Order: sequence, then C-alpha cells, then structure tokens
Amino acid sequence: MMRILSWWAERALLLLICTVVLFPIAWMFLTAFKRPIDAYSLSLNFQPTLDNFATVFSDPWNLEEMVLNSVIVAGVTVLIAVPCASLAAYSFSRFRVKGRKFLFFLILSTQFIPAVVIVLPFFLMFRTLDLLDTRIALIIVNLAIVTPFVIWMIKGYIDAIPTDSEEAAMIDGASRLRVIKDIVLPMAAPGILTSSIFCFILTWNEFLFSLILTRRDAVTLPVGLVSFRTERGDLWELMSAAGVMITVPIFIMALMIQKHFTRGMTAGAVK
Amino acid sequence: MRDRSLQYFLLVPGFLIVLATTFYPLAYSLTTAFREWDLTQSRRPEGWVGLDNFIRATGESHFLNSLWVTIIFVISSVILTLVIAMSLALLLRRKGKMHTFTRIILILPFAMSPALIGVSFRFMFNPEFGVLSNGLAAVFPALEGTPWLASPDLAMAILVVTDVWHWAPYMTFMCLGGLASIPRETEEAARIDGASNFRIIFGIILPQMKGVLLVTAILKTIFALKMFDQVVTLTGGGPGTSTETLAYFIFNVGFEWYDMGYASALAWILTAIMMTISIWYVRMLLSERKMATA
Repeated sequence: MMRILSWWAERALLLLICTVVLFPIAWMFLTAFKRPIDAYSLSLNFQPTLDNFATVFSDPWNLEEMVLNSVIVAGVTVLIAVPCASLAAYSFSRFRVKGRKFLFFLILSTQFIPAVVIVLPFFLMFRTLDLLDTRIALIIVNLAIVTPFVIWMIKGYIDAIPTDSEEAAMIDGASRLRVIKDIVLPMAAPGILTSSIFCFILTWNEFLFSLILTRRDAVTLPVGLVSFRTERGDLWELMSAAGVMITVPIFIMALMIQKHFTRGMTAGAVK
Repeated sequence: MRDRSLQYFLLVPGFLIVLATTFYPLAYSLTTAFREWDLTQSRRPEGWVGLDNFIRATGESHFLNSLWVTIIFVISSVILTLVIAMSLALLLRRKGKMHTFTRIILILPFAMSPALIGVSFRFMFNPEFGVLSNGLAAVFPALEGTPWLASPDLAMAILVVTDVWHWAPYMTFMCLGGLASIPRETEEAARIDGASNFRIIFGIILPQMKGVLLVTAILKTIFALKMFDQVVTLTGGGPGTSTETLAYFIFNVGFEWYDMGYASALAWILTAIMMTISIWYVRMLLSERKMATA
C-alpha cells in the first residue's frame, strides 16, 4: 500500500479537499436561510429564516410552477426513454444483429454532437408547430440527449448478466419475450433504476433547451434562476433558496446510486 | 415471434426516438447551414447561398475571437482537471473511513446543475459581498477591490476554476477506476527495491494509466467544447467578448441576431471540431493499445 504523505498530512489534505468541494454548496445553503441584510454582509452569525422560501413560492416568482415543470419534464422523459432504451439495449446485448456495429456507432456518435446544433432546428420546428414554451417541446428535445446515453448504460448492465438461466428457460419452452419479462428485466432492475436516476438528473439539470424553448409557461428550475437577476441587481438570497430546491432532490438521488456513479457516466464513452 | 424479427423489433422504439430527435434535426440544420435565413425577415428559409455562411465565419473577428476563447478555455480546463483528478485519485485510492467519506463528497459537484454552479460562483466572486473575493482580500490585502468578473483575464480564470470544480471530482472517479485495474506487482517490487514515490508514480503508475488518462482527456475535451450553462450564468460571455465561447456565440447568433443560416453553419463547425478531436484521440488510444499488446 502506497503512502505518499505522512498520516497527518494526508488527513489534512483530505479535509482541505472536502472543504473546497463543500464550501460553495454550504455557502448557498446558508444564504438561502439568511435575511437579505445578512446575505450581503458575509455574516455567519445570523438569525435563520424561511422567508426566502416563502418569497420564491409566491408572486411574482411562483417557483412552484417551475418545480412542477421540472418534475413533469424530467419524469416523462425518463418514462419514455428508459423502457424504449431497455428493449434496444437487450437486443444489442443478446443478438448479433446485422449492421449492429454501424448502429452502435450511430448511437455513440450522438454523444459528440453539441446540443446547440440540435436545438436550432427544434426551435424552428416548434415555432412552426406552435409548440414553443410547452413541456412537450422540452420532453422531445431532452429525449435526444438522454435516449442514446441510456441505451449504452443499460446495455452495460445487461451484458453483465449471465445468459445461463435465459437459455435454460428457453430450452424449457419459454418464449423470448417471456424470458425478457420474467428473467432479464428483474435481474437488470437495479441497473435500470440507476440509469433512470441518471436520466432524471441529466434532464432536471438541463439548461440550454429550457432557456431557448421556453418563455413563461414551461420554464424549468435552472432557467428560473436567471429570473432572479433583476434591474435591482441579483437577488442572491432568493437565488440560493431556488438553488436549494434544485439541489436537494438531486443530491439524494446521487447519493442513492453513488456506487454506480462513474460507471454510469462513462458507459457510452469508454467501451 | 421468431427471434430474428424480434431482435429488430426491440430496436424500433429506441431507434425511432434517436432518429426523430437527433438525426432529423441534424439533417435539417445541415440544409439550413447552406441557406440564408434571417428570422426577423422571414418565417421560411430564403434561398441557397452555398458555402457563404462558412466563408463568412473565416473572415469574422467575432467568430475568430470565440474560437480563440474556446481554445484557451478547453486547454486550461482539460489540463488542470486531469492533473488534479489524477492527484486526487492517487491520494484517495487507499482505504480508510476518511477516504471513503471524501469519495462520497466528490459526487456532489457533478450532480449539481451547471447553471446553478455558475450562479453560485458569481455570487462568491462578487467584489462587494462575495465570500471568496472578500476572503482572498483578507488573506492577500493587495487583492482588495479586485474586479474579479469585470476583468477579461480574471473572468476567464474564474470560468476555468468553476469548470474544474465541477469536473475534477468526477474525473477523479475515472482515474480511480483506472488505478484499480492496473496490477500492483511491479509497484510493490519497485518499492521493495527502495524506489522513491516520485519514481513509482512517474515511472510505473502513470505509464500504465496512459489509456485511462487519454479517455478522460477525450471526455473532458468534449464537455469543455460544449460548455454553455456556466458562461450564461457566470460571465454572460463578458466582460466584452472575453469569455464568449463558441457554443455561446452560436447561441447569440441564433437567438439574439436570429441569423439561422449562419448559426447552423457555426454549429456544424463546432461539431466538426469535436468529431475531429474525438477521432484523433480514439486513434491515439487504439495505437496505444496495439503497442501495449505487441
């Protein structure tokens, strides 16, 4: 076992790393509970208040509408992408489909396309179809980013499941669809759940599409942040309160799947 | 149903989504790139202009500036991220309660919304009541009153710092994965022979990590080229155009100037750059593997 530094130096360094990582997050959380006067005075000695949360959930900010938009857009995107991607992933994993390598390359290549290329034509199409500033528009565009990624990710999980029990079931006369439903899906369930959470996080944090495709009705939380930038200056304590609302659910999800974290994000790119 | 038709049938829903949401818009934007289309003038594309939009880019200082800004940003953020991630991975690969805790903490920046990260850093570097600007001034009095985000070079530096804060933790996981997969024997033998830490890291560990580091570099480069959210929420491309990256410039051309043809052409230039770099990296990676197995 390698030891580069002394015991104490190593602990001190780890503590420093944790501080650097946590500080900006902690500062945002603190600010969310400060009165404006404390938010602008850098004081650590302040009377915590929930006023900022009350403010952002009332006129004119109405954060609850954005929360609803974010939940619906991210939720529906997951509900559409994950089942479709799971089926495709199974096919990729178990069959030697003709042209499989080419199809695979197509899927991988989508990861190298900047989102801004896709959003331009979507803006024009949605304008013609009168879909600008709707949740449907956001769901459609988010599917573009999420679906290829989830296909890759779930394929990785299905690849890791041994095929023995599937083969045994088929020798006993079970159909392929039965096998998928009764054997593969239950075994892949933890992986599919992890992929769904990743998919949710990606969509929840998405900013560019929402910035371009929404104005008022379908604005999601990350873009909502920008509205706290007013003529009177940036309203930091309100931004922080909104930031806490964006962050808390995602942190909980990320910590739930922390063991699989790296594997997920590199599924498409490394293999 | 026979397996043969089933195998295609299972692919259909996923592929329909990818075709409709990625390849159709790509084709659409490719045709737009060769057209004149000012959205303030007309709801429909106006006419074919051949390569005009692409030629226009080569002579426009605004575009060339954004290309330059992007290059500076990508190079500095990729190098810094990789160095920090690799160092953190070397530190964190040992087992221990505090090591495990730190690893869990490292997940948080990546899970955060990039737009929110931009907002938070803007807040912390506010010259009057930012906690980092004031903290730095308390430690180094010479920095008192530094206009962090109002000075072109400092704004770029903060953009890079923010990006490194966002990505280095995540890239650490990739490096940790790489470290876990290399055999320990050579390292232990060298240690018994009394080799220094320096020699073990640079002579034994890093050469075996080349492949992983290359993959990490590819990913980070792609993410840095696409980076958009923090530019909007942290610097707004400013001061002036000093942090206006290519992705942000394309956004401006499309949605501030409404010049759809030109924006599409620029978007394809960015795509071409990303593809070229990716292919170049992948070829390096493949030749690396060949040499390793030879």
